[in-house]
Amino acid sequence: MEESLRPSGGKKAMIHLVILAISVLIGLVFSYLAITERDLLKAVGFSAIQAVAYAIAFYLLMAPDIVLAYVAISVGIYSALLIFLIRKTGRYEV
Amino acid sequence: MKRTLPLLLILALVVVFAYLFATKGVISAPTELRPLGKFYLEKCMIGGDFAAGSPEAVTSILWDYRGLDTLFETSVFFLAIIGSLMLFSFKVKEVVREQELTLVVRSVTKIAAVMILAVSASIALHGHLTPGGGFQGGSALAVAPLLVLVAFSRKILETSGLSLKRAIVIRSLGLMGILLTALLPLTLGGYIMQNLPIFPKYIADQLTSGSLIFYNVFEYLAVGAGFTAVFLLISIPEKNFVEEEK
Amino acid sequence: MSLFELFLWSFVVLALVATVLISLYGIAKRPNLVKKLIALTILGDTANLFVILFGYRLIYPVAPPVLAQWSESGVKELLRKAVDPLPQALVITAIVIGMAVNIFIAFLIIQAHRLYRSVDTREIAKYGGE
Repeated sequence: MEESLRPSGGKKAMIHLVILAISVLIGLVFSYLAITERDLLKAVGFSAIQAVAYAIAFYLLMAPDIVLAYVAISVGIYSALLIFLIRKTGRYEV
Repeated sequence: MKRTLPLLLILALVVVFAYLFATKGVISAPTELRPLGKFYLEKCMIGGDFAAGSPEAVTSILWDYRGLDTLFETSVFFLAIIGSLMLFSFKVKEVVREQELTLVVRSVTKIAAVMILAVSASIALHGHLTPGGGFQGGSALAVAPLLVLVAFSRKILETSGLSLKRAIVIRSLGLMGILLTALLPLTLGGYIMQNLPIFPKYIADQLTSGSLIFYNVFEYLAVGAGFTAVFLLISIPEKNFVEEEK
Repeated sequence: MSLFELFLWSFVVLALVATVLISLYGIAKRPNLVKKLIALTILGDTANLFVILFGYRLIYPVAPPVLAQWSESGVKELLRKAVDPLPQALVITAIVIGMAVNIFIAFLIIQAHRLYRSVDTREIAKYGGE
């Protein structure tokens, strides 16, 4: 039985955690920027970047089914839906 | 600078609290499987009576062990699309695009739309062997008509065969297929949505995991066509609706 | 486990809690209806990430819940390394239901814009519920 199955598996397990922490941090920063932005088109762009960061986090947590569904829905369909919506209602938040 | 100040404050608070919690050991990470997860992982392929016939644990939970959840979730999706379509049930005038996008955009869209069709069909059909399935394939399929709609115009999408009525018909076919596959075991002496003894595990020497492949194909069609209907309606400019209302 | 790993895990959990609080602020305090919809999508995504986070196993090597070798020894190998499959199935259901509700909300925003000529909740409140 190899010794690699212990909770702290040395340097390699740490790399998983470090990249996970970085991607969640990027998600936090861009979701804050999306919510406090007055130009709604830029807010949609920031929200798409946050979705990509969360897709990386889902992959690192070993959930490949969810990555496939989430990337198509959040980066493709939500962004397109919101841009059509902004075109009909108004670009700037007063 | 006014907006970044609260952000730096939030980041500093998170780092400080994370260090405090780490020194006291408040939040601990799990290292063992829970018993229910262990049951699903053990029995999904070689489980005897409880087997679902597919090496992919997540798809077998979605369509076999907890199949009723997925049936009701599909009906929630169906009702939301019906509600959205009913709000937009006016006659519309035909819209003519004033300027066209450049040649680069149009050529890339043609190539990308065909590739998306192939990739999404592969994701949906291999859902019982690798990660993937009906929803994932259907959401990927919805991006292709969206690209054609934005780069060209609605008229080109309709002349190539994908009008609003046809999208609704394809969606209804997908949903009827799911309902038939769910009710078929009742006529052959089983339960609703039963998988393995009724449906064959191998068809012509390929592993098809019983009813999982049929569910994936019909869900793929239903989800893809539902999204296409939504985008065909929401891309009509406002001024065409307002004039018809008067 | 070591202090650095505990620190990183606590950092991840607390950063997600902060994202939930920011999106709740966005839903409550921003008057534009489209901004409320953006904040609602961020809230739904973060809640789904929480559920997956609590189904993870902090070991190494770790594997997704897919059976590689169809034999008894393959199943034993999978049980040593795989993460929990049940939260992932529930999260797929939650993503699809959340998306259906968000599409419906988007269509309702368009209808509100047609009736009231504005998507600002302060302006809509002046109508007094007509």
